[in-house]
Amino acid sequence: MDLNLLRLAILAYLVSTATCALDLLAPRPGLRWLGLNALRVGAALHACSIAARFFAAGHFPITSFSDSLSVLAFLIVGAFLCLQMRWPIGSLAVVIGPLAFMGTLGAHAFHRGQATMPAHLQSALLPVHVMLAVLGNTLFSLAFAVSLAYLVQERRLKAKRVAGRMHLPALETLDQLNHRFLTWGLSLFTLAIVSGIVWAHLVWGRFWSSEPRLMWAMVTWVVYAIVFQGRVMVGMRGRRAAALTIVGFATLVCSLIGVNFFTPGRHGGTFG
Amino acid sequence: MANRRQVGVRGTPGDASGMQLDIVIVGLGHQDTTVDIREQLAFAGNGALEAGLRRFATLPGVEEAAIVSTCNRVEIVVCSGEPERAGDSIEGALAEHRGVARQTFAPHLYRLRGREAVRHLFRVASSLDSMIVGEPQILGQLKDSYAASAAAGASGTVLHRCFHSAFAVAKRVRRETAIARKAVSIASAAVELGRSIFDTLDGRSAMVIGAGEMSTLTARHLLANGVRSLLVTNRTFERAVELARECGGTPVPFDQFSRYLHLADLVVGGAGDGDGSHLLTHAMVQQALRSRKQAPMFLIDLAVPRSFAPEINGLDNVYLYDVDDLHQVADTNREERGREAEKAERIVVQAVDRFWRWLEELDVVPVIVALRQKIEAIRTRELARAGATLGSLSSEQRQAVDYLTGAIVNKILHEPVTRLRRRTAGADSHFVRMVCDLFGLEDHGRSDDTEE
Repeated sequence: MDLNLLRLAILAYLVSTATCALDLLAPRPGLRWLGLNALRVGAALHACSIAARFFAAGHFPITSFSDSLSVLAFLIVGAFLCLQMRWPIGSLAVVIGPLAFMGTLGAHAFHRGQATMPAHLQSALLPVHVMLAVLGNTLFSLAFAVSLAYLVQERRLKAKRVAGRMHLPALETLDQLNHRFLTWGLSLFTLAIVSGIVWAHLVWGRFWSSEPRLMWAMVTWVVYAIVFQGRVMVGMRGRRAAALTIVGFATLVCSLIGVNFFTPGRHGGTFG
Repeated sequence: MANRRQVGVRGTPGDASGMQLDIVIVGLGHQDTTVDIREQLAFAGNGALEAGLRRFATLPGVEEAAIVSTCNRVEIVVCSGEPERAGDSIEGALAEHRGVARQTFAPHLYRLRGREAVRHLFRVASSLDSMIVGEPQILGQLKDSYAASAAAGASGTVLHRCFHSAFAVAKRVRRETAIARKAVSIASAAVELGRSIFDTLDGRSAMVIGAGEMSTLTARHLLANGVRSLLVTNRTFERAVELARECGGTPVPFDQFSRYLHLADLVVGGAGDGDGSHLLTHAMVQQALRSRKQAPMFLIDLAVPRSFAPEINGLDNVYLYDVDDLHQVADTNREERGREAEKAERIVVQAVDRFWRWLEELDVVPVIVALRQKIEAIRTRELARAGATLGSLSSEQRQAVDYLTGAIVNKILHEPVTRLRRRTAGADSHFVRMVCDLFGLEDHGRSDDTEE
């Protein structure tokens, strides 16, 4: 049930991605409308899928890698749909659509039915740790989308081609949104790391393991911390902040996907 | 006055050239030139304008001349009996006068004559040819251009009529179409751009460097759109004080303005020095940005030649726009205004027709005047000759005779003059020449010519 709903959501996200991409190449007012509404439909189906999984499992489905990826994708879309009512960032659907599509596709690929977790790992800290990480990642993803928009808008203003068809918010708005997303994202991400360390200590008696997943997480944290620090201390902002935010997101994607795909580790849901 | 007569005489069909008066425009506009070409040719400052007017008005084939030199166009408008020759000599003189190699601008140059030229001038006045269609500044600039030409004695009857018709058309277009209401002026384009950088202009601060007409207008517009504080600097400090008082801003000494630069989110550059040096340099802006912790700045350079160094745009978080760049913003709104512009074009065409009829008629005006003068001379001469025999008449009777002869002359002349006027609507110069032949009016024209 939940898997079929997820498949429908994937399809809707794919439609949204395709129409938004087409709109970028050959703009037509209908395409933009379709792209945004496909995203809405996808989000609704996606919510149903998560709900169905919740009822089947009896707890909020977040502890497996597949589930957390699905929730992450849903939160990105949901947050975007809310934000675009307040700020004119509707054209960012072209970034959000593919992110949602990739996320749900990944969730589908790693779907393993009911995760059976070793008894010694069951702790209230696990869902907290994962939820914090997912929320942090959601905010980082939004920061990424806003940074991309910033770079596009900045290039247009510099190149004096303002008469573009994509209506984007003012540079300062994008920069401030980026800063806000980053601040919250970094706080939550830091808490996720701390909770992870505490939990690891409780279970394995160690604070740290040299898993590649963890190394990547630290790299991600450092990159975002540099952007945050740079902005607060030396007034790094605008293009540089946006570019670094995108670099941060790239490391985040590496840590999320690359490592989970190719390196077995505790975070891949194998809990070795 | 001398000009007026000169025009009439040279326009007389009996003149050696036998040509009709025409309007010729040689120039280049924002459509197909970049600002660097225009700033080389611009007649910046009153001295350059006056010298230019003197030069152009005395070129072979040119009767009257005016120079329209704004940041978006440089145009020489002349009235000529020999349009081809006038056009050639203007092109030559333009290169020579501004000391610019002809090939740098020759490919961009346009040459208009006849109704096309008049239509062009009217469209310019109505702001249909502006970078930002409907922007109101151009009318004022055109009025200044004409005033300068009149003051230098370079314009006469034809250009007087032509420019005043243009002003009237512009007013009518503004009144009867929504073009001006919908229009975005350069100033509001600046506001629009400012909003895609700052989101809102509320509470922002701006600085005006060089209190020119355009920069003053822009400053007012920024204030009307939420800008809170205004710093004004100008080479002549009194002018800065004056503008600051008008707008509720703060004057800043010109030699110290860079110290206050970091306070400004928006910087508007007005008139430059005209010597090619930049008022605002890369280093100044870099310094200001450091003080501002890289908070973005929006620089608007309205001066031609440009007064802000173009390389400033290479800095991060700085957006430098010159008049040409505002062109792009203008394009966005052009489509919406298509329909209003069509309405305006119709008004322009009507006005061109009216002016053209007048110009063609003007050709016969000297003939009619000459005819009247000749007949009137005969009448007064004959009256004087009969003076001896009429001596016994009372002054009352004498007046009656005077009136009677005058009435006869008028009655006789009425028909030919009316026909002459009507005939010229079709520009039948043959007919006009016949009248001149018939009454021996050529001599009259030539004698006037030699008097000049």
